[in-house]
Amino acid sequence: METFVAEMKRYLGLNEQDVDLLRQLGPRLEKYFPEMSERFYSQIPHHPHAFRVFTGQAQIERLKKSLQVWAYGLFQGRYDDAYAAERFQIGYRHVRIGLEQKYVISAMGIVRAFLHDCLVLEVPDSDERRRFAVALNKILDLDLNLMCESYMHATVENLRKLNDQLERANREMAQVSRTKDQFLSHISHELRTPLNSILGFTKMILDGLSESREEEHELLQDVFRSAQHLLGLVSDILDIRRIEEGRMSLRIENVNLRKLLDSTLPLVAIQAAEKGLRLQDQTVGTPLPVAWADEMRLRQVLLNLLNNAVKFTPRGSITLRAQMEDAAMDAPQDRLPRLVRIEVEDTGIGIPPQKRTAAFEEFVQMDHAEASRFRGAGLGLAISRRLIELMGGKIGLEAGCHGQGTLAWLAVPVVETVTPKEPLAASRHRGPGRRSDTNR
Amino acid sequence: MPQAAIEARAGDRIQTASAMSQTILIVEDHPLVAKFYRMALERAGGYSCLVTENADEIVAAVEQGHVALALLDVSLRGTYWEGRPIDGIELARLLKKRAPGPLPILLATAHAMAGDRERFLAASGADAYLQKPIYDAQQLVETIQHLLAASQPPPSQS
Repeated sequence: METFVAEMKRYLGLNEQDVDLLRQLGPRLEKYFPEMSERFYSQIPHHPHAFRVFTGQAQIERLKKSLQVWAYGLFQGRYDDAYAAERFQIGYRHVRIGLEQKYVISAMGIVRAFLHDCLVLEVPDSDERRRFAVALNKILDLDLNLMCESYMHATVENLRKLNDQLERANREMAQVSRTKDQFLSHISHELRTPLNSILGFTKMILDGLSESREEEHELLQDVFRSAQHLLGLVSDILDIRRIEEGRMSLRIENVNLRKLLDSTLPLVAIQAAEKGLRLQDQTVGTPLPVAWADEMRLRQVLLNLLNNAVKFTPRGSITLRAQMEDAAMDAPQDRLPRLVRIEVEDTGIGIPPQKRTAAFEEFVQMDHAEASRFRGAGLGLAISRRLIELMGGKIGLEAGCHGQGTLAWLAVPVVETVTPKEPLAASRHRGPGRRSDTNR
Repeated sequence: MPQAAIEARAGDRIQTASAMSQTILIVEDHPLVAKFYRMALERAGGYSCLVTENADEIVAAVEQGHVALALLDVSLRGTYWEGRPIDGIELARLLKKRAPGPLPILLATAHAMAGDRERFLAASGADAYLQKPIYDAQQLVETIQHLLAASQPPPSQS
């Protein structure tokens, strides 16, 4: 296929004679090139973005030089693809820095008028001058065509990139909207299920369908538990909304972890016992640091981890452990707060490694088909992660110690580090020289 | 959280039987909802209930012609067929194929977004669809009676 330069040369009728004429003309016009540069760049103050495009006198001087170099080249007669490629690069650069085509066309018009004036001064014979003028116009046309073509190419390329970005954004928005729909459908399903028991059993009792007081009591207990479950769902939904809107406020204070663990474990003990699961608290008897956290929210997160452990463990045990996180990994001591890590390990069905991160994502990332196989809003871990992060802590899932089950952990900042030698109260204002050992 | 306590009893197979009764198969992954269906039908009289989420058991009971009507939930968390999860829609199609005679199927679900009803009925081949919460025992029993009556073969002409 004919290249752009070849096509334009043919169209403009730029032939060998013209090239010869231009080569003769070059040496005769050279002395005018510096002034030509001045004229060309005299337009800069009229450019609307000159302050942005041309950043200093030194740069303008460089540009004036390069315009002269271009002019020498123009009269050398090398009008091939390599020449076109050089002009294209300049056009691309102009588009990148926001220099518009109309200004280049005007500036090139100044160059053209100037060179024709020079021709009048240098070539007195009008016939000879006309031949030179024709050749000069052809090469200036070719050059301007190259510049304009490069502008168009660069602009189209930019548009294509913008279009791709737009398409990507559209696809993402459609995906978000789809997941929101799925989430709504999922939540509506989850809310209706406990309502079924609440309404069904109360209506049965009201209609006198219950056969004994014992049965009535049992049904009312079912109703009560369903209502509690519903309450849990509603507060989960409210929590995630609050977090998403940045309205979740925490009450950070000193938290006695011993008290927290002792008051939280009994909440899952009954359910664990019903499933025949052993609940082991290995934190008993070891000193625990004082945490710097929101007590109610920390309990909520811990309870979430414990409930998950009970829910996804058909048999075996659930073990609770606590230890200080290694500080050396994070940052210099005394800069970032140390973290205490609380672990809940179960012998349950486990979570495949590739699903562990996704488990903490909000519904936007939730796979609906998957989510619908587990009861609940599916928001527990997403809420837990956000709450723990708001407290300046971390949360994670790993495989259980023996490659079986799940090890869920949370870590929150501590205000004091306990060491066997150091009493609790003394460790509060630790100096850099008095580094305390990690308590395990 | 009541969650685990409710789930702890999931998967229990409950069968109630009495002479001269029609067997209603109840496939519902939420034990309290299943309990409500069972009580509603038992109190109405004339029905025995087979409550199970086990697909092999479900298919066997249907193939042997023990089941007069199947009441299926759409989303089933604990039901697997040939090694993969199966939902109420797919199960309905399977049971329609495997049943030796006409088997009325009633779908029940809490999926209540616009268009769900038509979509579920069309996809499953079920005879009717109930939207949760289903809390009127009487209405449930009447719907089932109606479906059973409609599925009776017309009296043969001799």
